Amino acid sequence: MEFQIYRFNPDVDQEPRMQSFAVEVERGMMLRDVLLEIKSRDESFAFRHSCGEGVCGSDGVNVNGRNQLACITPVSDYENGPVVIRPLPGRPVTRDLVVDMSDFYHQYHAVDPWLKRKDPVPEQENLQTPEQRARLDGLWECILCGCCSTSCPSFWWNPQKFLGPQALLSSWRFLADSRDQAEDERLDALDGPYKVFRCHTIMNCVDACPKHLNPTRAIGHIRNLMLKKSV
Amino acid sequence: MSRHLSGFRAWMWQRASAVYLAGFFIYVLAYLIAAPPVDHQALKGWVGNPGMWLATALFFLFLLLHAWIGVRDVILDYIKPAGLRLGMLAAVFVFVLICGLWVLSILMGVL
Repeated sequence: MEFQIYRFNPDVDQEPRMQSFAVEVERGMMLRDVLLEIKSRDESFAFRHSCGEGVCGSDGVNVNGRNQLACITPVSDYENGPVVIRPLPGRPVTRDLVVDMSDFYHQYHAVDPWLKRKDPVPEQENLQTPEQRARLDGLWECILCGCCSTSCPSFWWNPQKFLGPQALLSSWRFLADSRDQAEDERLDALDGPYKVFRCHTIMNCVDACPKHLNPTRAIGHIRNLMLKKSV
Repeated sequence: MSRHLSGFRAWMWQRASAVYLAGFFIYVLAYLIAAPPVDHQALKGWVGNPGMWLATALFFLFLLLHAWIGVRDVILDYIKPAGLRLGMLAAVFVFVLICGLWVLSILMGVL
């Protein structure tokens, strides 16, 4: 089966090129296995990977125009055509499929992704009711693979100003948490024309998320909370 | 400049104006289908009615506000150089203002 792989080494290449590889596909093979096979043939080929089971979020790549985690994408999904694998779009390419995710992590850090307490921290557990805990479902599962934010055109245009779907999902994860006590502070930090409001509900993020999370809905919750607080 | 433009307020006004625009549009469409004015004089009389005149004036006010926020969003998305952005925002603002004054002069003529 034919795989076309994006190749670019800024140290030696003037511009990127696509390189074709024929790889014998076996039953149950994932795209990560194909990339490892290519790596064994050409050691200069670079891509990120780690756990191999969709938990670490390292091997986000763009496959036939759609962001995916290579390790949980079966090759059999593409049996009818060539497979074109490119780096996650909109990010500066460090080498081949490895991109610079600094802006992405910076935006994640900017939403203060930790619990903030004003009351003293309880000596033992910080209890929640089952309903309060259920509000976090669909939010805490994010693995920071970056498939959502790098598929978002608003993030492509303004990666340093727009928080992007991942950071906004994380922001809502803490706004929705009954144990967090910094709601006003968080909402104040989110105001302005860029941080939340560059989202135009394009919903590429929902389409791309390998964990089937819904950042667009989280952004809607943030906007609704802002509205509720303003009236 | 964009640091001083509120995100939340703009978003809220865009949504609120959209609701009014949709409501007014449906009302006008339904009225024109159900009881179309027979001639120009009848149309002027309909729009000149104080309630309808106010609703129409509000429609254009919200339309221009909605358009300004929408175009401003596009400029914020795509235009990076500060000078060019300021120039484009100013050009759009002047255009919206001229449209507003034009609408006002037409509406005053109907009264």
